[in-house]
Amino acid sequence: MHVAPRLFPDFLLNTSRYMLAVVRPCRLPFSLTTRLFHDVRVYKEDKRWPGWQVIIGIETHAQIKSRLKLFSESLTSHPDDPPNTHVSPFDAAFPGTLPKLNPKCVDLAIRTAVALQSDIQPRSSFDRKHYFYSDLPSGYQITQQYAPLALGGVLNIQLPDSSPVPVRIKQIQLEQDTAKSTFNPRNLTSSIDLNRAGTGLMEIVSEPDMRSPEEAGAYVRTLQAVLRAIGSSDGNMEQGSLRCDVNVSINRPGELPGTRCEIKNLNSVRFMMAAITHEIKRQQALLTSSSLATVPQETRGFDEHTFETFRLRSKEDAPDYRYMPDPNLGELRVSQSRIETIRSTLPELPWHTRTRLKSTYGISERDVEVLLSVDSGREVQFDGDEGDGGRGAVAYFDRLVAGNGQINEDGKKKKGRDPKVAVNWMTHELLGQLAARNESFKDNTLTSGQLGELIDLVTGRIITGTSAKLLLRHLLAKPSSERVLKIAEDLQLTALSPSSSSCSSSSSSQTAEDPLFPLCKEAIAALPSEVAAVRAGNKNVLHKIVGHVMKGSRGRADAKRVREVVEGLIMGEGKQ
Amino acid sequence: MRADVVRKCTDVCRTHFVSRKISTEACKWYQAIAEKNAVVNAFVHVTNVPKPSKAALPLSGLSIAIKDNIATKSSPTTCSSAMLKDFVSPFDATVVKLLQDSGADIIGKTNCDEFGMGSLNVHSVHGPVINPFTPSTVTFEQRSAGGSSGGSAAAVAAGMCSAALGTDTGGSIRLPASYCGVAGLKPSYGLISRWGVVSFADSLDCVGILAKTIPEIRRIFDTISVYDMKDTTAATPEVREQASRELQKRLKTWPTSESGLLSLEGLRVGIPQEYFPLELSSAVITPVRQVISALKDRGAKIIPVSLPSTSYALSAYYVLASAEASSNMARYDGVQYGMHIRPPPSSDLTKTSKIYAAARSVAFGQEVQKRILLGTYALSADAFDNYFLQAQRVRQLVKDDFNRIFRMQNFSGPSEANQDGADVLIHPSAIRTAPPLTSANRDNSGLDAYVQDVLTVPASLAGLPALSVPSRASSEQNGVDDDGWPIGVSVVGQWGSDEMVMRVGEAIETLLATK
Repeated sequence: MHVAPRLFPDFLLNTSRYMLAVVRPCRLPFSLTTRLFHDVRVYKEDKRWPGWQVIIGIETHAQIKSRLKLFSESLTSHPDDPPNTHVSPFDAAFPGTLPKLNPKCVDLAIRTAVALQSDIQPRSSFDRKHYFYSDLPSGYQITQQYAPLALGGVLNIQLPDSSPVPVRIKQIQLEQDTAKSTFNPRNLTSSIDLNRAGTGLMEIVSEPDMRSPEEAGAYVRTLQAVLRAIGSSDGNMEQGSLRCDVNVSINRPGELPGTRCEIKNLNSVRFMMAAITHEIKRQQALLTSSSLATVPQETRGFDEHTFETFRLRSKEDAPDYRYMPDPNLGELRVSQSRIETIRSTLPELPWHTRTRLKSTYGISERDVEVLLSVDSGREVQFDGDEGDGGRGAVAYFDRLVAGNGQINEDGKKKKGRDPKVAVNWMTHELLGQLAARNESFKDNTLTSGQLGELIDLVTGRIITGTSAKLLLRHLLAKPSSERVLKIAEDLQLTALSPSSSSCSSSSSSQTAEDPLFPLCKEAIAALPSEVAAVRAGNKNVLHKIVGHVMKGSRGRADAKRVREVVEGLIMGEGKQ
Repeated sequence: MRADVVRKCTDVCRTHFVSRKISTEACKWYQAIAEKNAVVNAFVHVTNVPKPSKAALPLSGLSIAIKDNIATKSSPTTCSSAMLKDFVSPFDATVVKLLQDSGADIIGKTNCDEFGMGSLNVHSVHGPVINPFTPSTVTFEQRSAGGSSGGSAAAVAAGMCSAALGTDTGGSIRLPASYCGVAGLKPSYGLISRWGVVSFADSLDCVGILAKTIPEIRRIFDTISVYDMKDTTAATPEVREQASRELQKRLKTWPTSESGLLSLEGLRVGIPQEYFPLELSSAVITPVRQVISALKDRGAKIIPVSLPSTSYALSAYYVLASAEASSNMARYDGVQYGMHIRPPPSSDLTKTSKIYAAARSVAFGQEVQKRILLGTYALSADAFDNYFLQAQRVRQLVKDDFNRIFRMQNFSGPSEANQDGADVLIHPSAIRTAPPLTSANRDNSGLDAYVQDVLTVPASLAGLPALSVPSRASSEQNGVDDDGWPIGVSVVGQWGSDEMVMRVGEAIETLLATK
């Protein structure tokens, strides 16, 4: 065929003429194909909305905890950073700039996919999603519409007093975060902060497997714990590093799912649960108002003051994002060996930590939860780096129990500490003192070695529990690298009784040296009527005398030992 | 703008030449700009006089003009658009940096079609470029320099610079080279960094070189054809190495001399039948035939080849290029940089997009607006399948066509070598000589302008190296259509065979010179 000048108008008017028979039919999944509904969950009546089944699916956007943005070389930012200080020409969509994928972001997304047992795709690609808005300088967001990084997966959630519920994951994709626009109603001006523009996000999409606001809450909390444990995101909803869009629909049990409404931009688990609850009640009221009523498909927002959802836009107003394969980024290929490396170096997942803590240390469920909730992802630094050997509470506890981490030569006996004692000191005393100082665990300056020595001094009766608490407070106020024993001695906090081993054999020479004797004698001399009462058989009065001694020792005396000594002195004197 | 450029050049010549700050050579360019730019309108900005460098570098002594859609820190980068009228990029394009690091002087920025969209260089906020060629026989008439790199081609043709950089998305270097009578190379896609090149259609955009002769093009090409980490579409060093090793094997078979090829024994030249449509003017076809027979005389084997998908290429090109353009133009909203248009006080400001629309309706030219609308439609949910995806499939068919007929393997993608295939293809660069600049094609190009690209887009879709070699055959043989204006002969090769394309181009240059 000869080239004819009329080619161009033809393709506009009638493409079918140029469709070729040899063209390979290739359909891309632009829209979800409707699939037959087979409910994975058995219906359970909820007293709040009897006769209705609730179906919830959640899309989560988690900011990737990388040093650099997804496609540019500017540093990621913190919400407190001054506006527009983390911006490269690419982030501001300057002409002539090109994206370059940051492999660290991919690694962290793969970590997430591994943790959620998602199927990582050997080939994925990037697409542009177009819309005009002030928080999107280039006019499009680079995302993974057609070929996401990972497909499938599962996250098990646990609600109190019920068996674990598996929530299936639909897909995990990489995309760019937007800038932040702040509207000032006073001067009717929007301010744009590009710090966040281009930060890497993981979009984690669940299947509609949740059936109550509580399950939705548990899903997000569990996901947060996973992301923090593996260090792929801070997962902080209040600070915006984790954001949720929730799809809610209700239907009569046994019937097809109802029309869903999407609630956007929920920024705390509490608000999310409240929004779902309100949405269920709203849809329920709508459907029961008349037999013909239907729920219109729409996107809704949530008012944090009234705790109600409100309409943002209807299905008809849904924008056409004009998705287009990004011509600059090409294919993202992930090799099996890269996945294996990430899998083999994956930090311990929360459910594994929970099981391990319970089975190896035998500590209570409550203590495990405290340790896990304190953990807060401190373990993993930016870009998934292990950082300074684990600052997390669980790692701290592991070191505390293991002693100095030394294993004896026979390899069997660990120079360990009693886990129950250790967990008490850590969760009650250390965390308590930190809370009293208005500090969190990440501010803790006391090393696990120091706390361990402190515990050893107590168990070895070198100092009393009371003194140890005093010493702990001192160590937090004045951090020091000195041996704890040395500090205790300097502060005259060592116990007033000889070591426990020498206590049992009460030879006269040792008792004479016992520093408790002068104190006890002094108390006996000071309280003659009480002494007389004890001698008369009223043993309860002994407490008062012991208390007097304790006061005089400023907590350095062991109460049990004092009682022994005082009783011995009184009764002994009586015999004499 | 024109007056500014002329004034500055006159000034440079007067003051700096006297004070011996610039060489006689460099002064020559400034003088030519001062004399001719008022008419030709090739330059839209001239840079300050560069400091003379002492070291002898590969490109020392060359004054190179840069198309105005390539970012430079030292002068504005307007893309010939009102949208970027006073825009100065905060960084230099990688190619600009490479040129400067190799000792070249950047003499100025050249006119082009707005954002590279156009074939006649009439869609420019700086006004059209006038083809500087003056035929001996005919009376003076204003003709198009071709587009979109019309300013670059005209600057070289008018002797205003040693060479110029252009960009080629669908023929934007080869077409103006052909119309202005200079040589123009669109290299293999991915060999020259696009960092700093203002995107029109990323999957097609290539930086290329225009110069009077091919050795000059090669000198610059060798300097700027290096891998750049900042461009993810850049061919990796491994792929470059593979292609180069294979290419060297083929090149060794021809004996060469300083003055070009002695013999073309063993060279297989393919003549694609689809590139000689009936509409081709005889002024074009005769010199191409002469080139082909001259190559045959030197021992090259001429083989007819067929690229059956060619007829669909232009349609596919305009869908894909417009779709990408509509996406790339989305960033020009007049807020972060560039021209800001305050919406009229009465206008509806309830949506951000309305504010952008005000700026975009004013600051984009007609042609750009047209292509944005076309591309937006092609990407809309209902049309995507029939337009964008269909065009992508056609693009693959065009690539397959080329891979089937080349002797060398395509190292940029999966393909096999065809032992009986061609080393290069020869065909006319354009279907006609430079079109006259009439009020019709100045105002609204209509469809004629799109058809200008019909012979150049297939190589763009396939990412192949294509070189337009100027040819001015003796007029008595050219028949009635001959108007005395130049035409170009295109040499197209397999991906990565840029050096072979240039060698064959040089042979044609030599053959035409000795005729």
